Amino acid sequence: MEERELFAQYRETHDRALRNEIVGKYLDVAAMIARKFTGRGVEYDDLFQVASLALMKGVDRFDETKGVKFSTFITPTIAGEIKNYFRDRSRLIHLPRRVAEIRAQIRSAADEIFSRTGKSPSAREIAETLHVSEEDVLSAMEAGGVVSLDRPLSGEEETNYYDLLPAPDDAFEKIEERDVIRRAMQSLNETEREIVDLRYIKELSQTETAKRMNVSQMYISRMERKILEKLREKLKKSMTE
Amino acid sequence: MMKLMEITFPLGREIMTTIRLMTGGLCSLYGLGLDDSEDCKVCVTESLLLLMHGGCREARVRFSDEDGLRIVLEGEGGTEGEKTMEEEISVALLRALVEDLNMEKDGRITRIGFGFRAR
Repeated sequence: MEERELFAQYRETHDRALRNEIVGKYLDVAAMIARKFTGRGVEYDDLFQVASLALMKGVDRFDETKGVKFSTFITPTIAGEIKNYFRDRSRLIHLPRRVAEIRAQIRSAADEIFSRTGKSPSAREIAETLHVSEEDVLSAMEAGGVVSLDRPLSGEEETNYYDLLPAPDDAFEKIEERDVIRRAMQSLNETEREIVDLRYIKELSQTETAKRMNVSQMYISRMERKILEKLREKLKKSMTE
Repeated sequence: MMKLMEITFPLGREIMTTIRLMTGGLCSLYGLGLDDSEDCKVCVTESLLLLMHGGCREARVRFSDEDGLRIVLEGEGGTEGEKTMEEEISVALLRALVEDLNMEKDGRITRIGFGFRAR
Protein backbone atom coordinates (compact mmCIF):
# COMPACT_ATOMS: atom_id res chain seq x y z
CA MET A 1 0.00 0.00 0.00
CA GLU A 2 1.26 3.52 -0.85
CA GLU A 3 2.31 5.84 2.00
CA ARG A 4 -0.56 8.29 1.44
CA GLU A 5 -3.10 5.52 1.18
CA LEU A 6 -1.85 3.89 4.36
CA PHE A 7 -2.09 7.10 6.35
CA ALA A 8 -5.48 8.01 4.87
CA GLN A 9 -6.82 4.63 5.83
CA TYR A 10 -5.39 4.89 9.33
CA ARG A 11 -6.88 8.36 9.80
CA GLU A 12 -10.26 6.97 8.85
CA THR A 13 -10.23 3.74 10.81
CA HIS A 14 -7.76 4.37 13.70
CA ASP A 15 -6.98 0.70 13.33
CA ARG A 16 -4.14 -0.19 15.69
CA ALA A 17 -2.84 -2.88 13.33
CA LEU A 18 -2.45 -0.25 10.62
CA ARG A 19 -0.62 2.06 12.99
CA ASN A 20 1.74 -0.76 13.91
CA GLU A 21 2.35 -1.44 10.24
CA ILE A 22 3.30 2.21 9.66
CA VAL A 23 5.51 2.29 12.75
CA GLY A 24 7.22 -0.94 11.65
CA LYS A 25 7.82 0.56 8.22
CA TYR A 26 9.55 3.63 9.65
CA LEU A 27 11.40 2.07 12.57
CA ASP A 28 14.60 2.18 10.48
CA VAL A 29 14.21 5.95 10.22
CA ALA A 30 13.92 6.19 14.02
CA ALA A 31 17.06 4.06 14.36
CA MET A 32 18.93 6.16 11.81
CA ILE A 33 18.11 9.42 13.58
CA ALA A 34 18.88 7.98 17.03
CA ARG A 35 22.32 6.91 15.77
CA LYS A 36 23.08 10.47 14.72
CA PHE A 37 22.72 11.61 18.34
CA THR A 38 25.01 9.03 19.92
CA GLY A 39 28.26 10.10 21.56
CA ARG A 40 26.61 12.50 24.01
CA GLY A 41 26.71 10.25 27.07
CA VAL A 42 23.39 8.49 26.46
CA GLU A 43 23.22 4.88 25.32
CA TYR A 44 21.95 4.21 21.80
CA ASP A 45 19.21 1.89 23.09
CA ASP A 46 17.73 4.71 25.17
CA LEU A 47 17.85 7.07 22.21
CA PHE A 48 16.22 4.47 19.99
CA GLN A 49 13.42 4.05 22.52
CA VAL A 50 12.80 7.80 22.63
CA ALA A 51 12.90 7.94 18.82
CA SER A 52 10.42 5.05 18.54
CA LEU A 53 7.96 6.71 20.92
CA ALA A 54 8.25 9.95 18.96
CA LEU A 55 7.57 7.96 15.81
CA MET A 56 4.38 6.49 17.30
CA LYS A 57 3.14 9.92 18.38
CA GLY A 58 4.09 11.32 14.97
CA VAL A 59 1.98 8.75 13.13
CA ASP A 60 -1.11 10.07 14.95
CA ARG A 61 -0.26 13.69 14.19
CA PHE A 62 0.72 13.33 10.53
CA ASP A 63 -1.62 14.77 7.93
CA GLU A 64 -0.91 13.18 4.55
CA THR A 65 -3.09 15.74 2.74
CA LYS A 66 -0.57 18.53 3.37
CA GLY A 67 1.79 17.20 0.71
CA VAL A 68 4.76 16.56 2.98
CA LYS A 69 6.48 13.19 3.03
CA PHE A 70 6.26 11.37 6.35
CA SER A 71 10.05 11.01 6.61
CA THR A 72 10.42 14.81 6.27
CA PHE A 73 7.68 15.38 8.84
CA ILE A 74 8.91 12.86 11.40
CA THR A 75 12.64 13.78 11.38
CA PRO A 76 12.33 17.10 13.28
CA THR A 77 9.75 15.50 15.60
CA ILE A 78 12.15 12.71 16.55
CA ALA A 79 15.13 15.10 16.77
CA GLY A 80 13.09 17.39 19.04
CA GLU A 81 12.09 14.54 21.36
CA ILE A 82 15.69 13.34 21.57
CA LYS A 83 16.90 16.84 22.40
CA ASN A 84 14.23 17.15 25.08
CA TYR A 85 15.37 13.83 26.47
CA PHE A 86 18.96 15.10 26.62
CA ARG A 87 17.77 18.15 28.49
CA ASP A 88 15.64 16.25 30.99
CA ARG A 89 17.36 12.97 31.56
CA SER A 90 20.95 12.74 30.34
CA ARG A 91 22.36 14.18 33.54
CA LEU A 92 21.05 11.14 35.42
CA ILE A 93 22.55 8.54 33.10
CA HIS A 94 26.04 7.13 33.39
CA LEU A 95 28.01 4.97 31.00
CA PRO A 96 29.91 1.89 32.15
CA ARG A 97 33.16 2.94 33.77
CA ARG A 98 35.58 1.04 31.58
CA VAL A 99 33.92 2.20 28.38
CA ALA A 100 34.30 5.89 28.94
CA GLU A 101 35.87 6.97 32.18
CA ILE A 102 36.67 10.43 31.02
CA ARG A 103 33.23 10.83 29.52
CA ALA A 104 31.72 10.24 32.95
CA GLN A 105 34.03 12.88 34.36
CA ILE A 106 32.97 15.23 31.59
CA ARG A 107 29.32 14.65 32.41
CA SER A 108 29.74 15.32 36.12
CA ALA A 109 31.87 18.40 35.43
CA ALA A 110 29.22 19.60 32.96
CA ASP A 111 26.52 19.05 35.62
CA GLU A 112 28.53 20.96 38.17
CA ILE A 113 29.16 23.90 35.84
CA PHE A 114 25.56 23.82 34.64
CA SER A 115 24.21 24.00 38.20
CA ARG A 116 26.62 26.85 38.96
CA THR A 117 26.15 28.96 35.84
CA GLY A 118 22.82 27.76 34.45
CA LYS A 119 24.22 27.24 30.95
CA SER A 120 25.67 24.37 29.00
CA PRO A 121 29.46 24.57 29.46
CA SER A 122 32.05 24.71 26.70
CA ALA A 123 34.78 22.09 26.33
CA ARG A 124 37.31 24.62 27.60
CA GLU A 125 35.39 25.18 30.84
CA ILE A 126 35.15 21.43 31.38
CA ALA A 127 38.85 20.95 30.64
CA GLU A 128 39.72 23.60 33.24
CA THR A 129 37.48 21.96 35.82
CA LEU A 130 38.96 18.50 35.23
CA HIS A 131 42.56 19.77 34.88
CA VAL A 132 42.92 18.04 31.53
CA SER A 133 43.58 19.45 28.08
CA GLU A 134 40.76 20.75 25.94
CA GLU A 135 41.76 18.25 23.28
CA ASP A 136 41.34 15.40 25.78
CA VAL A 137 37.80 16.53 26.46
CA LEU A 138 37.00 16.82 22.76
CA SER A 139 38.59 13.49 21.93
CA ALA A 140 36.77 11.73 24.77
CA MET A 141 33.47 13.17 23.58
CA GLU A 142 34.19 11.89 20.10
CA ALA A 143 35.55 8.51 21.16
CA GLY A 144 32.41 7.50 23.02
CA GLY A 145 30.34 7.02 19.90
CA VAL A 146 29.05 3.72 18.68
CA VAL A 147 31.48 1.88 16.41
CA SER A 148 30.79 -0.88 13.98
CA LEU A 149 32.16 -4.26 14.98
CA ASP A 150 33.49 -4.59 11.46
CA ARG A 151 35.54 -1.43 11.78
CA PRO A 152 39.26 -2.23 11.69
CA LEU A 153 41.34 -1.46 14.75
CA SER A 154 43.55 1.55 14.17
CA GLY A 155 46.60 0.54 12.22
CA GLU A 156 45.40 -3.07 11.98
CA GLU A 157 43.86 -3.77 8.62
CA GLU A 158 43.16 -7.43 9.35
CA THR A 159 41.82 -7.11 12.88
CA ASN A 160 38.45 -5.59 13.71
CA TYR A 161 36.55 -4.91 16.93
CA TYR A 162 34.57 -8.11 16.46
CA ASP A 163 37.80 -10.09 16.86
CA LEU A 164 38.17 -8.66 20.34
CA LEU A 165 34.84 -10.00 21.57
CA PRO A 166 35.24 -12.89 23.98
CA ALA A 167 34.24 -16.30 22.72
CA PRO A 168 31.69 -18.32 24.74
CA ASP A 169 33.07 -19.59 28.03
CA ASP A 170 35.43 -22.49 27.80
CA ALA A 171 37.35 -23.57 30.91
CA PHE A 172 40.43 -24.81 29.03
CA GLU A 173 40.60 -21.69 26.93
CA LYS A 174 40.33 -19.58 30.07
CA ILE A 175 43.28 -21.35 31.69
CA GLU A 176 45.33 -20.87 28.54
CA GLU A 177 44.34 -17.22 28.32
CA ARG A 178 45.33 -16.63 31.92
CA ASP A 179 48.69 -18.21 31.26
CA VAL A 180 49.26 -16.03 28.18
CA ILE A 181 48.26 -12.91 30.12
CA ARG A 182 50.51 -13.89 33.07
CA ARG A 183 53.45 -14.26 30.69
CA ALA A 184 52.65 -10.98 28.96
CA MET A 185 52.49 -9.23 32.34
CA GLN A 186 56.01 -10.43 33.09
CA SER A 187 57.24 -8.24 30.26
CA LEU A 188 56.14 -5.15 32.20
CA ASN A 189 58.37 -3.36 34.69
CA GLU A 190 57.35 -2.67 38.29
CA THR A 191 55.81 0.75 37.64
CA GLU A 192 53.82 -0.55 34.69
CA ARG A 193 52.55 -3.50 36.74
CA GLU A 194 51.49 -1.12 39.51
CA ILE A 195 49.51 0.94 36.98
CA VAL A 196 47.78 -2.21 35.66
CA ASP A 197 46.98 -3.23 39.22
CA LEU A 198 45.49 0.14 40.19
CA ARG A 199 43.64 0.72 36.92
CA TYR A 200 42.38 -2.74 36.01
CA ILE A 201 42.33 -4.76 39.24
CA LYS A 202 41.39 -2.06 41.72
CA GLU A 203 39.49 -0.20 38.97
CA LEU A 204 40.67 3.26 39.98
CA SER A 205 40.26 6.19 37.62
CA GLN A 206 43.30 7.70 35.90
CA THR A 207 43.13 10.68 38.27
CA GLU A 208 42.91 8.46 41.37
CA THR A 209 45.78 6.31 40.09
CA ALA A 210 47.87 9.42 39.45
CA LYS A 211 47.23 10.65 43.00
CA ARG A 212 48.25 7.31 44.52
CA MET A 213 51.47 7.26 42.50
CA ASN A 214 52.15 10.94 42.97
CA VAL A 215 52.32 11.66 39.24
CA SER A 216 50.14 13.57 36.77
CA GLN A 217 47.02 12.13 35.14
CA MET A 218 48.63 12.79 31.74
CA TYR A 219 51.53 10.55 32.74
CA ILE A 220 49.15 7.71 33.63
CA SER A 221 47.29 8.21 30.35
CA ARG A 222 50.54 8.01 28.36
CA MET A 223 51.80 5.02 30.34
CA GLU A 224 48.51 3.22 29.89
CA ARG A 225 48.74 3.56 26.13
CA LYS A 226 52.33 2.32 26.24
CA ILE A 227 51.41 -0.66 28.44
CA LEU A 228 48.47 -1.67 26.25
CA GLU A 229 50.68 -1.45 23.19
CA LYS A 230 53.32 -3.59 24.89
CA LEU A 231 50.76 -6.19 26.00
CA ARG A 232 49.16 -6.27 22.59
CA GLU A 233 52.51 -6.92 20.93
CA LYS A 234 53.30 -9.64 23.43
CA LEU A 235 49.89 -11.29 23.06
CA LYS A 236 50.08 -11.14 19.28
CA LYS A 237 53.46 -12.85 19.42
CA SER A 238 52.11 -15.55 21.76
CA MET A 239 49.23 -16.26 19.41
CA THR A 240 51.46 -16.76 16.40
CA GLU A 241 53.91 -18.96 18.28
CA MET B 1 33.53 38.30 7.93
CA MET B 2 36.80 36.82 9.18
CA LYS B 3 37.89 33.49 7.81
CA LEU B 4 39.05 31.22 10.62
CA MET B 5 39.90 28.09 8.73
CA GLU B 6 39.35 26.46 5.39
CA ILE B 7 40.10 22.89 4.48
CA THR B 8 39.67 20.88 1.31
CA PHE B 9 39.68 17.11 1.50
CA PRO B 10 38.58 13.99 -0.39
CA LEU B 11 35.09 12.99 0.71
CA GLY B 12 34.78 9.68 2.50
CA ARG B 13 33.36 8.26 5.71
CA GLU B 14 36.86 7.81 7.14
CA ILE B 15 37.43 11.58 7.22
CA MET B 16 34.24 12.35 9.18
CA THR B 17 35.75 11.94 12.66
CA THR B 18 38.62 14.28 11.79
CA ILE B 19 36.25 16.95 10.53
CA ARG B 20 33.96 16.45 13.53
CA LEU B 21 36.89 16.87 15.92
CA MET B 22 37.98 20.01 14.11
CA THR B 23 34.42 21.34 14.26
CA GLY B 24 34.24 20.55 17.98
CA GLY B 25 37.51 22.39 18.54
CA LEU B 26 36.30 25.51 16.76
CA CYS B 27 32.95 25.40 18.57
CA SER B 28 34.89 25.33 21.81
CA LEU B 29 37.04 28.25 20.64
CA TYR B 30 33.80 30.12 20.01
CA GLY B 31 32.45 29.39 23.47
CA LEU B 32 29.58 27.21 22.26
CA GLY B 33 28.03 24.95 24.89
CA LEU B 34 28.34 21.16 24.69
CA ASP B 35 24.84 20.68 23.30
CA ASP B 36 25.30 23.28 20.58
CA SER B 37 28.75 21.88 19.75
CA GLU B 38 27.27 18.41 19.33
CA ASP B 39 24.43 19.79 17.18
CA CYS B 40 26.98 21.65 15.07
CA LYS B 41 28.95 18.43 14.55
CA VAL B 42 25.78 16.62 13.49
CA CYS B 43 25.07 19.40 10.96
CA VAL B 44 28.58 19.21 9.53
CA THR B 45 28.35 15.41 9.25
CA GLU B 46 24.91 15.55 7.60
CA SER B 47 26.10 18.21 5.13
CA LEU B 48 29.10 16.12 4.17
CA LEU B 49 26.88 13.06 3.78
CA LEU B 50 24.60 15.06 1.49
CA LEU B 51 27.55 16.14 -0.65
CA MET B 52 28.87 12.60 -0.69
CA HIS B 53 25.52 11.06 -1.65
CA GLY B 54 25.18 13.76 -4.30
CA GLY B 55 28.30 12.41 -5.97
CA CYS B 56 30.89 14.98 -4.85
CA ARG B 57 34.32 13.47 -4.47
CA GLU B 58 35.90 16.40 -2.71
CA ALA B 59 34.60 18.89 -0.19
CA ARG B 60 35.70 22.25 1.14
CA VAL B 61 34.69 23.42 4.60
CA ARG B 62 35.08 27.04 5.54
CA PHE B 63 34.68 28.22 9.13
CA SER B 64 34.32 31.96 9.55
CA ASP B 65 33.50 34.53 12.17
CA GLU B 66 30.23 36.05 11.03
CA ASP B 67 28.03 37.03 13.94
CA GLY B 68 28.98 33.71 15.57
CA LEU B 69 30.53 30.68 13.96
CA ARG B 70 29.47 30.31 10.32
CA ILE B 71 30.17 27.11 8.46
CA VAL B 72 29.95 26.68 4.70
CA LEU B 73 30.48 23.31 3.04
CA GLU B 74 30.97 23.03 -0.69
CA GLY B 75 31.32 20.19 -3.11
CA GLU B 76 31.85 20.11 -6.84
CA GLY B 77 30.54 17.75 -9.44
CA GLY B 78 27.49 16.42 -7.65
CA THR B 79 24.66 14.97 -9.66
CA GLU B 80 21.07 16.21 -9.71
CA GLY B 81 18.28 13.77 -9.16
CA GLU B 82 15.61 12.50 -6.84
CA LYS B 83 16.72 12.49 -3.22
CA THR B 84 16.88 9.20 -1.35
CA MET B 85 15.11 8.88 1.99
CA GLU B 86 18.46 9.14 3.77
CA GLU B 87 19.16 12.45 2.04
CA GLU B 88 15.70 13.75 2.88
CA ILE B 89 16.29 12.89 6.50
CA SER B 90 19.63 14.69 6.44
CA VAL B 91 17.99 17.84 5.06
CA ALA B 92 15.11 17.65 7.54
CA LEU B 93 17.58 17.16 10.39
CA LEU B 94 19.62 20.18 9.29
CA ARG B 95 16.45 22.27 9.17
CA ALA B 96 15.53 21.05 12.65
CA LEU B 97 18.90 21.90 14.17
CA VAL B 98 19.69 25.28 12.60
CA GLU B 99 17.53 28.28 11.85
CA ASP B 100 19.55 29.88 9.08
CA LEU B 101 20.23 26.94 6.81
CA ASN B 102 21.21 27.95 3.30
CA MET B 103 21.39 25.30 0.58
CA GLU B 104 22.17 26.29 -2.98
CA LYS B 105 23.41 24.97 -6.28
CA ASP B 106 25.68 27.32 -8.22
CA GLY B 107 26.60 25.70 -11.52
CA ARG B 108 28.44 22.56 -10.56
CA ILE B 109 28.95 23.69 -6.97
CA THR B 110 26.63 22.53 -4.18
CA ARG B 111 26.83 24.77 -1.13
CA ILE B 112 25.40 24.26 2.36
CA GLY B 113 25.81 26.95 4.99
CA PHE B 114 24.63 27.54 8.55
CA GLY B 115 25.68 29.33 11.72
CA PHE B 116 25.90 28.76 15.46
CA ARG B 117 26.10 31.43 18.12
CA ALA B 118 27.26 31.14 21.74
CA ARG B 119 24.32 31.52 24.13
